[in-house]
Amino acid sequence: MDYTHILLASHGTPGACAAENATFKLCQPGHTIHHLIVVPDFWKGMLGDDWLNNAITQIRYGKYIEGQLEKEIQIDINRVSSTAEAQNITYHYEILLGNPADCVVKVANSSHFDLVVIGSPRAKKQEGLKSRMHCETLIRGLTIPLLVIPNA
Amino acid sequence: MVYTKKHPALLIMGILMLSLGALIHFSLMDGVISHLHLQKYLGEMSSLSYIFGGIAFIVGLWQLVWTHKEGNMDYYLSTVAGGIFILFIAMIIRWFVAPSVAVWSKSFGPVMGAKYLHEVLGLNYIVLGILTGIIVVNFFKVPTWAENGVRLSRLGLKTGVVLLGTLYSLAELQQLGGLSILMVGFFVLGSVGLVLWMGARHNIPNSMGGVLSAGMGVCGVSATVAAAPVVQAKSVEVAYTIGTILLWGVACMFLFPIIGNLLELGHIQFGAWAGTGILNSAQVAGAALAYQPDGIETLKVAEIFNITRVLILPIIVVWLAVWYVKREENAPDINIARVAFEKFPVFVIGFLLMFTLSSTGIFSPANHYKGKYFDNNIPAEKLLTEEQVLSLKNEQTKVQREVRQAAFTRLIENKKVMSIEDDDTLRGLVNAKILSKKGNKILKTAHKTVRHTANKIKKFRQFITWLFAFGLVGLGMQITFSSIKQAGGYPLAIGGVVGTLKAVLSLIIVVLFVHETI
Repeated sequence: MDYTHILLASHGTPGACAAENATFKLCQPGHTIHHLIVVPDFWKGMLGDDWLNNAITQIRYGKYIEGQLEKEIQIDINRVSSTAEAQNITYHYEILLGNPADCVVKVANSSHFDLVVIGSPRAKKQEGLKSRMHCETLIRGLTIPLLVIPNA
Repeated sequence: MVYTKKHPALLIMGILMLSLGALIHFSLMDGVISHLHLQKYLGEMSSLSYIFGGIAFIVGLWQLVWTHKEGNMDYYLSTVAGGIFILFIAMIIRWFVAPSVAVWSKSFGPVMGAKYLHEVLGLNYIVLGILTGIIVVNFFKVPTWAENGVRLSRLGLKTGVVLLGTLYSLAELQQLGGLSILMVGFFVLGSVGLVLWMGARHNIPNSMGGVLSAGMGVCGVSATVAAAPVVQAKSVEVAYTIGTILLWGVACMFLFPIIGNLLELGHIQFGAWAGTGILNSAQVAGAALAYQPDGIETLKVAEIFNITRVLILPIIVVWLAVWYVKREENAPDINIARVAFEKFPVFVIGFLLMFTLSSTGIFSPANHYKGKYFDNNIPAEKLLTEEQVLSLKNEQTKVQREVRQAAFTRLIENKKVMSIEDDDTLRGLVNAKILSKKGNKILKTAHKTVRHTANKIKKFRQFITWLFAFGLVGLGMQITFSSIKQAGGYPLAIGGVVGTLKAVLSLIIVVLFVHETI
């Protein structure tokens, strides 16, 4: 099949990188990849129950974390966009804060995509942030095909 | 941006609170009150329901019908809904849920000595309130109309600590301060050093070692928040650390009171142990109130330890900043003075100010603040009755020691305890169990009559307890399972070792060396 407008959900993990590689194999020059990066909403709770710090410390911490996440996202964007440019593929990106599966469904159903590509969850003992895609939400919510790429 | 949400929730809560106040006022809930043994709460149930119900009703009506514009008034009044939401939960838990749990637990009879299940497990209004907060945020989400006000809980806790400053005597502050500097100093420096050493042994990055050592060593999430930018921690390292600390903190808040009850620790011992062994400062206050829900002696000790920890925080952050810069070539320049200044906890100045003011007797006689004080200027109806005096006379020959005999005779002659020294002597007589049960009971009554807490201070203590309850329910609403789930990697392993060592060693030290008198 020829996919002209692919929605790629990735965020730098090994599974997501496998999804990126598969997307580039599926996408022909001149076609479009829409890269969705979701910042998981658990970050909203990452001030925890801190109550001792002054407002200035909390603001500095918030800005620092935002900056860190931005840096990490920029690395992902640069990696995918440079490959897309080399293969003459049109590249767009979108950053959302929220539940990963909800965000994918929302974006996938908001435009005329013909395929959604995601990576498989990492192995249980592998380290990393715990923010998995809720498969049932995807399966029930998507109206277009979903491709899950295993992290080999 | 307009912060006020047009939502009927605040108005509804106001109506519910006013209705509750009226039901109590007009004795329409006497059956429930008697069943749940709520007589001691009657005063606060009626007054708090009317006061805050009235505020909620007026502001709720205004929020619903008025057209709101951007500005300070909009911002500040938008917090009322969240504040009332937390307060309403705290009220329901303190007046109905916790007493129901107690009644249910008592139906099983004592499970450990004379203690009931809810006492052993610490299932009181503080623990149940925090649990409810955690359940609300994780299973129902904090409603959008309440989000702005939920942040007020931090203000509740800080105000509570500042006002708590009035309730210490100079001797208490000196001795508890000395003890906390020794214990916190040893365990903070020890755990920071241990985490950094373990980190180096396992080749974990300096940024992770730095942020983890602050969190594990000083005051949990607050220290992580303060240290993360200084040691350039990566987002995943921050997530691991905060997840681990929250996991430990919540577990400790439930476990510490149970262990304290099993070991029958005193208030000072438990306060010192919780203040040293629990990683996260919010849970220190929670555990202290869970251990002694109807008094503030444990909280007073625990908060001195919390304050010592937070005073050490700027020093540790500066240390970590210097440590990190020495090890990382690309580390940014650190302005040490600015770091130390920004991390200084301003509310501690308020605490010290309130302590100083209360010591001068500006609000009330200085000795009234410390709790029970001696006052034998009592009305005639509170004197011992003729029958009680006769009972004591019949047992007078049992009292042998000269000092006791003299104090005992003065009690019989004056029908009340005549001095602090006499009171202490007669307490010794009770403890010696020389008299009959009836005789001891009369002596205890005489003691209670002259040693009491001033009504004003009793209410003030109650107010402080409410501030903490309010703050802790609100903080419960900021503990998400998704952040706890991030616990993992080296932080979980190292945190497990250091957290356990700290809790066990501090318990041993407290049991062996900390006494119950100041």
